[in-house]
Amino acid sequence: MIRFENVSKTYKNGTTALAHISVDIDKGEFVFLVGASGSGKTTFLRLLLREELPDQGRILEAGRDIGALPKWRVPYLRRNIGCVFQDFRLLPNKTVFENVAFALEVIGRPRSTVDHQVPQILDLVGLGGKSKNLPSELSGGEQQRVAVARAFVNRPLILLADEPTGNLDPTNSESIMALLERINRTGTTVVMATHDKTLVDRMRRRVIELDRGELIRDQVRGVYGVEEGLAS
Amino acid sequence: MRVYLSYAFKETFANLWRNRLMTIAAILTVAVSLSLVGSALLLKQSAAQASASWQQGTRVTVWMQPHASTGEISTVKTQLSQLPIVKSCVFFSQLQDYNEAAGILPPAEFQVLKPVDMPTSFRCTPTVPVDAFTVISTFDHQPGVFKVTAPSQQIRQMNRAIRILQVVFLALAMVLLLSAMVLILNTIRMAIFARRREVSVMKLVGATNWFIRVPYITEGFIQGLLGSAVAMGAVWALHTWYPLHNEFALNTAKLWGTNTVVLAVGVMIGSVGSAIAIRRFLDV
Repeated sequence: MIRFENVSKTYKNGTTALAHISVDIDKGEFVFLVGASGSGKTTFLRLLLREELPDQGRILEAGRDIGALPKWRVPYLRRNIGCVFQDFRLLPNKTVFENVAFALEVIGRPRSTVDHQVPQILDLVGLGGKSKNLPSELSGGEQQRVAVARAFVNRPLILLADEPTGNLDPTNSESIMALLERINRTGTTVVMATHDKTLVDRMRRRVIELDRGELIRDQVRGVYGVEEGLAS
Repeated sequence: MRVYLSYAFKETFANLWRNRLMTIAAILTVAVSLSLVGSALLLKQSAAQASASWQQGTRVTVWMQPHASTGEISTVKTQLSQLPIVKSCVFFSQLQDYNEAAGILPPAEFQVLKPVDMPTSFRCTPTVPVDAFTVISTFDHQPGVFKVTAPSQQIRQMNRAIRILQVVFLALAMVLLLSAMVLILNTIRMAIFARRREVSVMKLVGATNWFIRVPYITEGFIQGLLGSAVAMGAVWALHTWYPLHNEFALNTAKLWGTNTVVLAVGVMIGSVGSAIAIRRFLDV
């Protein structure tokens, strides 16, 4: 599903964000992306969204080289990728329903599809009863669930999550995690960048660790950090 | 497509309403500048039309004093008939001049006139239009002669005045059009800033660039359109209640020709203004 072939990315200010990364992620996999701040996790996700282009190497998604994609095709690529962020990025003046519906409306889905799919996905994330609330009336965990619903309502092939539990307490983190796992079980490939040691250690999924732009670990049933694991 | 159109429509009007003060300012500036452009165009066309109709019969008029003696009148008449540069002359009696004045002067001014106050006059056609000046210099200070006038002089002065007016109008209009465009650009920029969260989410979920851009382009387009509609009204009003003499009056075809230009320019500055705003501030 996702393949990095010797990918390097250096920003204009000279920082090397990624250096010679080669990774293969299969369809339906659940991958944790770990590493200290500045290790290149976010760049990894931005490259997948084609918000950035690699300086070197190729990135393939669903067999296609996304670097070779003409600019006008990029929106269509993004329709196959859902995104969740640490800061939720909900629209404050729209209700829960409207926030999720927005993702379908702006890609031209007809009203009937919106009316059918949005309640369904809101039930899936457990917010069926709050569709008329504004984001400000929800807890952080609930807001993040709305964001997940928005990312998944279009049934993307890939779901990217950039520290989705970074702003949440352990209980809410657990429920978001459970939700992502559930989405993963539907066959969606999930890539989650995180600092949440407890989650990673408990889940025992594939772990890719980056350090100053280099891939230093790729474990099938990994934990958050080997050293930290020993220290604790 | 239908979904898209209703979306674009909704967004456009939401944006216009949110920035209504700026929108009104932009529309008014477009309206004022285009009214000037339209008036200048109208003026140019009338001047061309009027001077064409005048030049067809360049005539020199020798106005006699209202109380000139019969002798003085016949002396002038003889001299005129002997001048080789004068092709022909027609004598207008006081009553004839009085009746002519009835058609030219405003009623209020005309009412105080009596036929006795009117000068008699000779309407002469020079062999060549330029000879009108010789006729003027020859008769201007003759006894019994009040004044010698040739429309070519007035035409020239009128044309000069109109040309200056036109340049002033067009220069003003250019400055105003530029400011209208900057105003439109700024309204669009504000609309984009107000919705930058929406725009970033739209990009994230894969809305196409045109989907994101069109509401802003339509917004500028509509501002240009409304502004030019107001200006078209002003041009129409100017045409209908023309402050100039009948010879300047233009037919409706010319009015609508002018208004088409006004509309085209208005729509153009609206679209160009928003296009620049989109290029500079909407990074999609």
